[in-house]
Formats: sequence, C-alpha cells, structure tokens
Amino acid sequence: MSEVEETLKRIQSHRGVQGTIVVNSEGIPIRTTLDNSTTVQYAGLIHQLAQKARSTVRELDPQNDLTFLRIRSKKNEIMCAPGNEYILLVIQTPDAS
Amino acid sequence: MFTDEDLEPVECLSCWKKERYTDEVGVQTKDLDVEDVGVQSKKYEDEGTQTDNSRDNYFKLAETDEGRLEKFLKKVEPRLSKILEKNMKSVAFDDYVIRSYEDDLAVTCTHTLCHDELKDELQITGVSWNSTGSVLAATYGRFDHEDWCTHKAALCTWSLDRRDINPKKPNVVIDSPSCIMCLEFHPTNPAWVVGGNFSGEVLVWDLNKEDDLLISTSGIGDDAHREPVAKVQWILDPNSKGRSYNIISVGGDGKVLIWTMSKKKPKLKLVEGFVLMTQSLPRNMKVRGVRGDKEIGATCISFNSEDKDTFIVGSESGCIFKCNLHAQGNPAGSHIVSSVPLRSPVTFTFNPHHGPVHSVDYSPFHRNAFLTSGMDQCIRIYNVLQDQPTITVEPGEGYLYSAKWSPVRPTLLAAATEKGNLLLYDLKSDQLVPIHKIEASVDNKPVYTLQFNLTRRNLLATGDGSGYIRVFKLGDDLSSLAPRDVEHLSHVINTTD
Repeated sequence: MSEVEETLKRIQSHRGVQGTIVVNSEGIPIRTTLDNSTTVQYAGLIHQLAQKARSTVRELDPQNDLTFLRIRSKKNEIMCAPGNEYILLVIQTPDAS
Repeated sequence: MFTDEDLEPVECLSCWKKERYTDEVGVQTKDLDVEDVGVQSKKYEDEGTQTDNSRDNYFKLAETDEGRLEKFLKKVEPRLSKILEKNMKSVAFDDYVIRSYEDDLAVTCTHTLCHDELKDELQITGVSWNSTGSVLAATYGRFDHEDWCTHKAALCTWSLDRRDINPKKPNVVIDSPSCIMCLEFHPTNPAWVVGGNFSGEVLVWDLNKEDDLLISTSGIGDDAHREPVAKVQWILDPNSKGRSYNIISVGGDGKVLIWTMSKKKPKLKLVEGFVLMTQSLPRNMKVRGVRGDKEIGATCISFNSEDKDTFIVGSESGCIFKCNLHAQGNPAGSHIVSSVPLRSPVTFTFNPHHGPVHSVDYSPFHRNAFLTSGMDQCIRIYNVLQDQPTITVEPGEGYLYSAKWSPVRPTLLAAATEKGNLLLYDLKSDQLVPIHKIEASVDNKPVYTLQFNLTRRNLLATGDGSGYIRVFKLGDDLSSLAPRDVEHLSHVINTTD
C-alpha cells in the first residue's frame, strides 16, 4: 500500500469519521472513501466554499492565508485542510460513540 | 184525439265532414347506381432499438502526481488528527440545543374519538395505549353512582394506524354489564388488556381472540374487591425472572390485591393481598373511638421505576401511603374474609391532601420523586424522604382528576382538570404557570383521565366526561430529552424551601 493510501486510512480510522475526500484545485475528487454521488457533491460544493473563504481572508489582508475551515452542522462537522494544490475534506459525526 | 200523420223527413248535413275523393297518380325514382370498390391498408413492420448500457463512467477520479499528494497529506495530517481527536472530547456544543422550528413547542389534537352509542350517557373512566403504541383502548363507565350500577358499559379500542379509522366507531367493542372503572394494556403483549369493574371484578381480555375475548376473571366473592376497582396494573412476577406479569388491583374497599393468571383455568388466582387501615392515618386525622383496623378506600397506585417492590397508594381520605410488597404490617381485622392473609403494606404516610387523592405517579427518571393530584385542586410533588410536599401547584381549574409525568422529559408533567383542560407544566421554566393549556374536552366537561404513549413518545390521550377521547401530538421540544434535565429534576426535588 502506498504512503498516500496509508495516510488516508489513518485519518479514516479516527473515531466518528464518516468519510475522507481529497480534491484537486479544480474541484475534482482524487481520492475518496464515500460513494460516487456524495463525493461529487461534497467535492464541488466545499471546494467552492473553501475558495471563497480563502479569497476573503486574502482580500482582508494580502499577507494572510486560509489554513483551516470547519463547518459545524446539526448532523456532522466538515473539516477542510486547504493546500496549494489540494484540499483534504473530512466529515466527522461528533456524537457517534 | 190521436191521429196518424206522416211528416216529411228532415235532413241535417254535417257542417265539418267532407266527402273524400281519391285519385290515382304514378311516381318513379331514378335508377340506383351500385359500384364495388376494394381498399387495402398498408403493411406494418415491428422493429426494436436498444441503447447501450451506460456505465458509471461520468464519475472518474482525477489523476494526479502521487508524490505531491503525499507531501500535502503529510503536511496536513498531524493537525487534522489532533482536531479529530479533540472534537470527540469537546463539550463546546453540549448545551447547544438546536431549536429549529416554532411549532416544535406546539401541541396539536390529531384525533377526537368516541363510541357513538355510549357518548353523552357515559364517561371515559380510563384510557391505555398498547405495547406497540398503535392501539388506544378506553373504558366507558360512570364515577357518580347513587345506587346499583345498571349501565351498559363497554371497553372500546381504536387502531390509530388503520386508514379506515372511524372516529365514531371503535374497531373493537367489548360490552360489559356494569361500568368498567379502569384498564391497562399488558406491557409486552399488545393484545392483552386488564380491567376492573364496578362490582369489584378484575377481568383480562385478549383482543386477538375470535368470539369470547374474556380470558380470565377474578369473579366476585370474598377474595375479590367488595367495592369498585379503582386501578389495575401489570407488575413483573418476581418468581418468573422477568418473563411473566402479575396483576395488581386496588379498590374502594382498601384492598391491594395481586393476581396471577393460570394457564389452565380462566380464573385469576389471588397470590398476595394487602389492606389499608385507619391505623396508618396520621395522628391528626384519626377519629377517636374508631377501631384501628377499619379500611381506607384506595383510589390510585404507582410503582417506583427502580425499586420494583416500593409503591405509593393514594386514598379517598386524602392520605398518601408509601408501601412495600414485603412490608410486614399489622394483619387485617377479623371482619375481612379472604383466602390469603391480608396485612398492612404501609411503611410511611405523607402529608395528606385535603380531599380524595385522584392520582399518584412515580417519576420515571428519579427514584425519590412522585407527584399527586386530588380533589383539593392542587398538584403536589413529593420527595419520598420527606413527608411535606416539595412543590405545590394550584392551577385553579377545579378538581384535578389525573396527573402524570412525561415518559421522555424528566421535568415535564401533565394534568387533567375539571374545567376540561389539559395542562402541561415544565419544572425547568416557571413552576407555577403551565407552559400549555389546551382544551381537551368537547364541551367543557371534566377530563377524567390522561395517558402518555410509552412507545410513540409524542402522543398523549385524554378522556372526558361526555365520552370523547382526544389524542394529542406533542411537539419535538416536548417529546425529546434535553441535556441535563435529570439533574434539573433532582435539583428541584432536593430543594426544601
């Protein structure tokens, strides 16, 4: 198993994690642990939101940059770690014990 | 004088009849042209087409450089792992309750049911939900008898899930020659229901049976109640390791009787019995010169949710007794005849109501909390460890015929009033003002009974004095557990100011 797969598996094995997706700079999923339609939806929508968030931060202060984005919802929490080329999305249900 | 005479004939010509003339005339139509022509429809042909099976090829993961992806993941993983772990331990959102809709708080009436033949004439004496929560049963009877009961009463059931539910016609009607005063469905078997009638008989019906639904009865006699049965309940048989249930009944004759169903005979067997006696009354209520072994009529009973041997009994005298199934109280007086020895179950007496107690209910969430309601128009909440009530609420709605804790929300309680309203109190908000006051009877008749649905926890049924049953649906907020409610209840119970 490659290093990439192993890392993703480690993340996926955390408690409460429902799914992990890696998206490229165009918003197209590269790796996923979810089913196809859910992956496409999450990738497209969260990618747009992350871009918007990043541009907001940068516009407020050109020296600043977005490092992390967390969205808390009624059912779960979506975490995005943005990089230059990729975004890592993790969906976690906090009260699933 | 008479002579022959010939007169000229007289002729009268008709003024409207005319003589018919006939004449012969010939006519001739043209020759008919006839022609034969043949037609023929076109030929048809069937042809099939088939598209190719579309494969899931619209979804494709993008290709990327493995090395750069690895670098990126290495960079973000430690941080993400830390957050994921922290998230599971976080208490930041614990108290954050999402109140999404306004109508979460609302209470709506979903059904108004009655048995058309008996309404107006009889009252609803009891309602009960079966173990699946889909069938509602109600008993018809009267509380105000002046002499013998000659009413033609009935037990009726409605299946709320059936599409053809007729609110004026029950699915099952079991007729009874005397008023049925109370009932309760079996805790696990959805077809069994126990009831008690005005003559003191305890009866068990099986709603699944074809013709004679009655499967067991206590009969009338020395062992049975000598006054109307006030309440019946199923209790776990301690000898069966939690598999079978016995029946406990209380009556106006002060007896608390435990019955077991036998498989062979259609007769309930008396296993154990208790009797409430005047010696258990608090000193200021004792009447001089009356013997201590006279009975006190019982009106209601409730078992503790944790300790299955402890129960509370309310009485006609207004007294509330804490009792235990293993209590070794004084034996009953010699004037009471029974096949099993009867003794007093009382271990403690609480500060009494000023009038008959109509209902008692142990909290399903707190082993020391119970509530009572009665003719003195107040709801009292007691801590078992103290004889004075911790909280007294006076709604000013007349007699309170029934009060119950919600099976879901530890601080929520409901009460049925003489003025025909259903009151919902939340001990967490304002203790003295009901959070909801809903009209629960058809024409301001008293509401005699109310019952929460233990399976479908957002339903509640009430029965009123003109024979109507109402089913209410409680909003999400009233039928789901809020965080720290149990702590709040114990806080309320343990304050003694």
